Amino acid sequence: MGGVLIRPIILTVCIYLFLKFIVPVLPHSAPLPSSLIFLYLMLVMSGSVLFATLSGESKDAFFQPILRFLTGESGGALSSARYLVLALFPLLVGWQTYGSTASSDAPPGENRTIHPAPPGEYTGLSNPVPKTPENIMYGKGLYASRCAPCHGNFDGKGFAAAGFTPPPANFKDPTTIAMLQESYLFWRIKKGGVGLPVEGMPWKTAMPRWELEMSDEDIWKVIMGEYDGAGQKPRTWDESE
Amino acid sequence: MARVRRVGKRWWVGAVGLLGLCVAAEVQPAYSQQSVAVRAALVKGSLPADDPTAAAWATASVSEFPMSPQVHWPVRITEVTAKSVKVRGLHDGTTVAIMLEYSDPSEDPDDAAALEFMVGDTKAHFAHGQPMAQVEGGPVNIWYWKNKDGKGSDLGAKGFGTLKPHSHQEVKAKGVYQGGVWKVVFSRPLNTEHGAEDTQFKLGEFGSIAFAVWDGKKMDSGQPKEKGSEKAISSWWYFRADAPADYSPYLYALLAVGLALGFEMALVRRLKKGS
Repeated sequence: MGGVLIRPIILTVCIYLFLKFIVPVLPHSAPLPSSLIFLYLMLVMSGSVLFATLSGESKDAFFQPILRFLTGESGGALSSARYLVLALFPLLVGWQTYGSTASSDAPPGENRTIHPAPPGEYTGLSNPVPKTPENIMYGKGLYASRCAPCHGNFDGKGFAAAGFTPPPANFKDPTTIAMLQESYLFWRIKKGGVGLPVEGMPWKTAMPRWELEMSDEDIWKVIMGEYDGAGQKPRTWDESE
Repeated sequence: MARVRRVGKRWWVGAVGLLGLCVAAEVQPAYSQQSVAVRAALVKGSLPADDPTAAAWATASVSEFPMSPQVHWPVRITEVTAKSVKVRGLHDGTTVAIMLEYSDPSEDPDDAAALEFMVGDTKAHFAHGQPMAQVEGGPVNIWYWKNKDGKGSDLGAKGFGTLKPHSHQEVKAKGVYQGGVWKVVFSRPLNTEHGAEDTQFKLGEFGSIAFAVWDGKKMDSGQPKEKGSEKAISSWWYFRADAPADYSPYLYALLAVGLALGFEMALVRRLKKGS
């Protein structure tokens, strides 16, 4: 009895374990949100029920064990499990009802666009400053005095960083400047946090508006110093495109 | 064969249990309550709005927020005294009191602290409501205390250089310095008649809050170590004045349990009749 049910249950459990514990450790992956895992499990279970009820025979084979279990005809150890399920179901419903009606202690979530689109005039600009060792060194010097208090040793861990949220960018992280063009950095450094568009909420970035204190040429040199110091290269259009 | 069937049964029971645990683990979202919010609990009786040392403050939940030097705008500073602030809140349904607690090696007349709030529903930049390039944003309301003044000030700003006291002053503040620690309590009615300038607190709803601290220690130059825009600041965090306890969710849950139980019993009875 129940043999028909074992396969879909094992399949569901295996998929849960895969999504929960394997996916996060895959390269370039991240932990999946609980709501997404729940959605996937629902899809798997729905698919299993659909598959198991394609014919009248398979439908009976699928539902008969469940019916026998619910009516107590299975007997044996399953009787105890039956009482457990019958007791847990109303409690689970009550728990869900409480969870959906009680006010949450969690603050509202914030949508944040990490790299909002720059204004058109900053798209595709090329760094006009020659990439010489002198210019890179000069840019690193400016970085040390202007940027390092927050961005630290290119790792976002400057001594002034603790109070800021979102935290200062970690330039060594491959998802920051390595995936951006120099023109994007030029815009972000020149206009600072207040230059972000409305989708660049939540209005918390402390990035200064450096155009008030640095020339464009110096900003381009800082960009060169940043890439060099972080061991990254700016994203460029592929020559074949 | 009988043994195989028994093993099958155990598999079935175990697998159902495991599946139930898996689903239950994903149904309920995890609540993480780190220090991202200050919650002011509703108190009965008198509010310790003018006494930072009152025992009632020990009952308030405490949140701690890191502070950074103000580097966003010139004149900036790169090192500040206050590395973090502990924040507590209480309210009595009429007045809200918020206490900042932070370390400061010396008591100085120019020591100061401030709270900042957004006003209304319009988002504002945490740096004095500075307008954004593409979005104007809203104003901010600042509650300010300075040791030598011995009182609170109600200020407003919408961008740098626009800070000014409100024509109405409803913010009170009192600071006590003990053992290298400042405890400063700000208080104000939860709601005022100046909704365009003052932040208004809707019970149970989260709003934004930010903090600032100045170490007023006199330097050799005769100037305070931290003054004006040279201060310790935080980004926006959240603040909520708790609503009165609401027991209706328990009632709804109880009702749901009853309904589910009734449905379950009817279903089993129907199935038994059918079989």
